[in-house]
Amino acid sequence: MSKTLEKLSILSDAAKYDASCSSSGSRRANNSKGLGNAEGMGICHSYTEDGRCVSLLKILFTNHCIFDCAYCVSRRSNDVKRAAFTVEEVVDLTINFYRRNYIEGLFLSSGIFKNADYTMERLVRVAKLLRSEHNFNGYIHLKAIPGASPELLHEAGLYADRLSVNIEMPSEASLKKIAPEKNYGDIITPMNYLKEEKIRYQDERKTPARKTPLFLPAGQSTQLIIGASPENDRQILSLANDLYQKQRLKRVYYSGYVPIATDNRVPTLSAPPLLRENRIYQADWLLRFYQFNVDEILDENTPHLDLEIDPKLSYALRNPEKFPVDINRDEYEMILRVPGIGVKSAAKIVSARIHQTLHAEHLQRIGIVWKRARYFIHCPGGETHKDRQMLDLRKIILDKEAISNPPQLSLFG
Amino acid sequence: MATYVYDGSFEGLLSCVFNAFSTRRLPHAIVAQDDYHPELLDDAIHIIADETQAERVLKAINQQTDGEAAALAYKIFLSELPQAAMTLFHIIKVIVSAKNTSILKNFGNSHILEAAQIEKKIHREIHRMHAFVRFQKTNTGLFYAVIEPDFNVMPLLGEHFEKRYADQTWVIFDSKRQYGLYYQQQELCFINADHPVVPRQPKDLQSDILDSSEKLYQSLWINYFHSVNIQQRNNKKLHQRHMPRRYWKYLIEKSQPGSRPAVNTSYHSPRQKRNQSS
Repeated sequence: MSKTLEKLSILSDAAKYDASCSSSGSRRANNSKGLGNAEGMGICHSYTEDGRCVSLLKILFTNHCIFDCAYCVSRRSNDVKRAAFTVEEVVDLTINFYRRNYIEGLFLSSGIFKNADYTMERLVRVAKLLRSEHNFNGYIHLKAIPGASPELLHEAGLYADRLSVNIEMPSEASLKKIAPEKNYGDIITPMNYLKEEKIRYQDERKTPARKTPLFLPAGQSTQLIIGASPENDRQILSLANDLYQKQRLKRVYYSGYVPIATDNRVPTLSAPPLLRENRIYQADWLLRFYQFNVDEILDENTPHLDLEIDPKLSYALRNPEKFPVDINRDEYEMILRVPGIGVKSAAKIVSARIHQTLHAEHLQRIGIVWKRARYFIHCPGGETHKDRQMLDLRKIILDKEAISNPPQLSLFG
Repeated sequence: MATYVYDGSFEGLLSCVFNAFSTRRLPHAIVAQDDYHPELLDDAIHIIADETQAERVLKAINQQTDGEAAALAYKIFLSELPQAAMTLFHIIKVIVSAKNTSILKNFGNSHILEAAQIEKKIHREIHRMHAFVRFQKTNTGLFYAVIEPDFNVMPLLGEHFEKRYADQTWVIFDSKRQYGLYYQQQELCFINADHPVVPRQPKDLQSDILDSSEKLYQSLWINYFHSVNIQQRNNKKLHQRHMPRRYWKYLIEKSQPGSRPAVNTSYHSPRQKRNQSS
């Protein structure tokens, strides 16, 4: 069994650069007195010392790979120990970790061995065995291997809660340079196929007489690597926005490039660009939960996110005519736009103001970030800042709020 | 103004509320018998728990709130916070005089807000228990876990684990409050520390009662936990904020800090090693 231990070390270490950890959004209930239930919200069972959530058993089936993508630790030309699980080993680990409440399920990826179909077929076999032999209703996330046949992708969609194809490089030019065996077509084709299949199954479910099986109940996701290629934040966010709209992805993950490879096709960074990654995530949240569009966050003149301040504050400072927002009268959409007010606080405000006029002290108790929001709102007991120049405000806020993030080195210039 | 003293049960607490309303003697404090220290000028009223009275209170507040208030009241009770009983009394007072059923959304009212904040704490604790329970398999096939939650959330955990582990026999035991939940693939029940299924040392399972493969899976998990960490991204502050130290003792991956991966995984290029140490 120490063999399993060694394989697990190698194949989890190689899988950890995939940022996705989500185990939510599925609707797979345990109706059969089997093992596991994936109908609730996701659970992070542990957190590693880098502060990331551990929700799934995230491993590669193998790190043998015929591709040579410069950003990847498992690339063909890299000198690392190689290993491969058997189907039964992955199933046994998943079941036994799940029974002890270590994990929500399995996230199985793989290096490409032999060819796309051969690899995809192994991943599907693991999921099939878990679902049909072990009556497992936990969460399963599989990689969709670019170039795999539609039949295999379809079968994967019937067993998995989520499938993902990682784009990794935010432009086709960068992908060609850094991952010569890959192309955008091979990545977008399975995404579009899976999107159409999911819609087809959803339509079928609307016919009440028939019992239609679940198909990818938690949808699709992808990942973009930040800082291994020269794309600006606007290009990255526009791409993400397209993926949300056209491919109907549930999530786009951003992974600050961790300099794992010594390969002259990718830059040598002294540290992963974590602050930039964080700002892009904040902007992604504005797209998905705060009703912003890309052009409001970034435009041609400002293609990069401000590293000093978050994108929501940056928007407020660039659009002083939209503020202050009247807490007791303005629409929910505008309250959402106030720096220092999150989705939950905004909802609390609009439901509480039906009952009574909200004063500054109410807002503070409700839990908005007062030191930030106070410059942008109007309410009894609040401050009046109508005349203040927005440029001053940036300085005031920056001076008052000590920046806890470490400075970041510039990458491309 | 009077001090109401009850037996510590939810029904007892609700009976205090019932009596306060029906006798129009407002409480100055509501305390459980075990926490009650008589004082000279106390006007103490001892209330006997009455199920009918309790049900009438719950029914009344549910009617006023589209069925939401009873569950909220129970969670406030389970918080065991010193102010919980009076918060409960105050929100019930607000609810019964409310003009519409969305009164629990009036976060401008300090009692409602206080109740919402207690509820939030309870939900966070439930979520943590969903996450941090760690079962160990014993040689009888039982999956056993011990917890010490900040609040008395055990009564709110059963459904989640029953759905998840429907085909497995398990016990979750609260070593602080000395009771647990027992599920044997049929029904869920509460058990006390003296139930035969509870190990003799409930906080610290001896290795001779563990399943022969238990230690193996624990070491696989610890190994996994360490190898998915990205050292270049280390952020201990964030790590501890998500997993506060007081929960570590029952997390096998944190309770054995010396348990570094047994297998040497440092097979990266020399350049990366330099990066890691810088």
